[in-house]
Amino acid sequence: MNSNYQAKIDGLKEDARHIRRNIWRALHGAGGGHMGGSSSAADILAALYFHHLNLRPKEPDWQDRDRFVLSKGHANAALGATLARAGFIDDSVLDQFYVYQSNFGMHPDIKMAGVEMSTGGLGHGLSVGLGMALGARMQGKDFRTCVMVGDGELQEGSNWEGAMAAAHLGLSNLTVILDYNKIQQSGTVTQMMGLEPAADKWAAFGWAVREIDGHDMSAVVEALDALPYAEAAPSLIIAHTIKGKGVSFAEDSFLWHNNMVTDEVYAKALAELGEPG
Amino acid sequence: MSSVEQAAAEQPQSKSPAWEVKAAKQSRLAFGLAVGELARRDEKVAAISADTIDLFGLRPFLEASPERLIEAGIAEQNAMGIAAGMATTGMRPIICGYAPFITTRSLEQLRNDVAYANQRVVIGGACSGIVLAMSGGTHHAVEDIAIMRNMPNMTVIAPCDARQTWQAALATEQLDGPCYLRLGGKFDEPDVTELDADFRIGKADQLRDGNDVTVIACGALVAPALAAAEALAHDGIGVRVINMHTIKPLDRDAVLKAAAETGAIVTAEEHRVTGGLGGAVAELLAVELPTRMRMIGMPDEFAIIGPTARVREHYGMDQNAISDACHELTK
Repeated sequence: MNSNYQAKIDGLKEDARHIRRNIWRALHGAGGGHMGGSSSAADILAALYFHHLNLRPKEPDWQDRDRFVLSKGHANAALGATLARAGFIDDSVLDQFYVYQSNFGMHPDIKMAGVEMSTGGLGHGLSVGLGMALGARMQGKDFRTCVMVGDGELQEGSNWEGAMAAAHLGLSNLTVILDYNKIQQSGTVTQMMGLEPAADKWAAFGWAVREIDGHDMSAVVEALDALPYAEAAPSLIIAHTIKGKGVSFAEDSFLWHNNMVTDEVYAKALAELGEPG
Repeated sequence: MSSVEQAAAEQPQSKSPAWEVKAAKQSRLAFGLAVGELARRDEKVAAISADTIDLFGLRPFLEASPERLIEAGIAEQNAMGIAAGMATTGMRPIICGYAPFITTRSLEQLRNDVAYANQRVVIGGACSGIVLAMSGGTHHAVEDIAIMRNMPNMTVIAPCDARQTWQAALATEQLDGPCYLRLGGKFDEPDVTELDADFRIGKADQLRDGNDVTVIACGALVAPALAAAEALAHDGIGVRVINMHTIKPLDRDAVLKAAAETGAIVTAEEHRVTGGLGGAVAELLAVELPTRMRMIGMPDEFAIIGPTARVREHYGMDQNAISDACHELTK
């Protein structure tokens, strides 16, 4: 492995660590929030925003930018932390989470720079991303659209309408990343409404599917670099992740899907996440 | 000579949009023709069908511009989300759906992705009201105005005939946000307006002057309102008739002027009286100028099954009921 590549991976890992710190920072400022599903997405968001997506943070409405839709909108703290690191929004916005009259609420708001669609109601992002991918095709543009969905979210039937349509329309410029952390609000996905065999389901719908460890930065980068996986089909990355990744007491627990963050908890989390980047 | 034949005779060799709209007679088809015209004017315009190509007469458009028509299948949620996503990229999507399904099955997408995100999506809802009365309550749309009018950013238009539908659909070009157009079904609608009439979104048409009572109607109830007014004139009752084609934004001035000058208002719509045109007018008048009112429309129940005309009569959504209400208010 060449040293440039390793430096790149190390840099992205540092981006992810920084995103996780800022997730906890935003949630601490707000008193609490969805740290579980925000933290599970951090490595993928780092790879997307600091390696894969073609963006101009100082020109957020640039017509030819790649599009990213956070369909699992409750992970907005992670998106905000990412957008701040990328330079779409000022770092100080991270202290505006849930704050009166801010655009940085629990769920993404299209009024905030870098946010492509207001999300939060689950099962919306895939159809919206599909529309963006169609918009690219119809206007002869080569930007790509990427949608991150949650696992519990896939219980919403609208996803499967979108999955059917994207394959039917042969949208190879559309990618869905499943942040598969296996836990939803009230328990494990398996307990609530099982998703398995997830890869087979999507493949049966006509998607080109890859499975990775969503916390292995090299694997994430390689999966993104290899897109699209088929010439005339949309691509799905099933990223196996850990809810609350990065802070031991929050990992793999549905209690930390959405929880309060006291000063004490915040201090413990920061101690595990290392120094500010 | 029927008006269709007359229109054909005027321009027998031509298939100009004006000729086609005159011949269309049905708002759903006029809307489909307008989709084609809008697409001709603006390359960003695209149609989204929910298995509704023939309902909107879109087959010629599909044949001429297959790349500009997205068939979403029988999947309204996805169709609505697609439209919102397309709109964010600068496209001008026009959804062609059944009113009962496109306003309720895809309601959360409509609220979040289209209205909340304030995207330029035009939604045509065919077979509104009890056009599909024989199909049963699953296929009636008598709450669609109430739903759409409660969406911030949304413009709501209920044209009264095919010609006005054409004009309204073309006028959506100027809108910066989403818009719902409420359309009829597969039977001819009487012509009320002219193709070259002055149409502006949000500006009501006063179709007839009168100083005793005002009927404010929309959609299919405009023609019966005019017929009632004409008959009442013989009884010496002067009925003002306003075609309130735009429910939102409501033409406040027209309502307040009518209330001030005639002192009595009858609203008429093929919709539940709660939350629709009658509700909109009542909300305004209650605050600004309390006025005696009667509301013609569906009560708080699901409509019975039957031929549309009979069901309209059953619920008093017709000329007789409008006439009775006018009499009552002018006693």
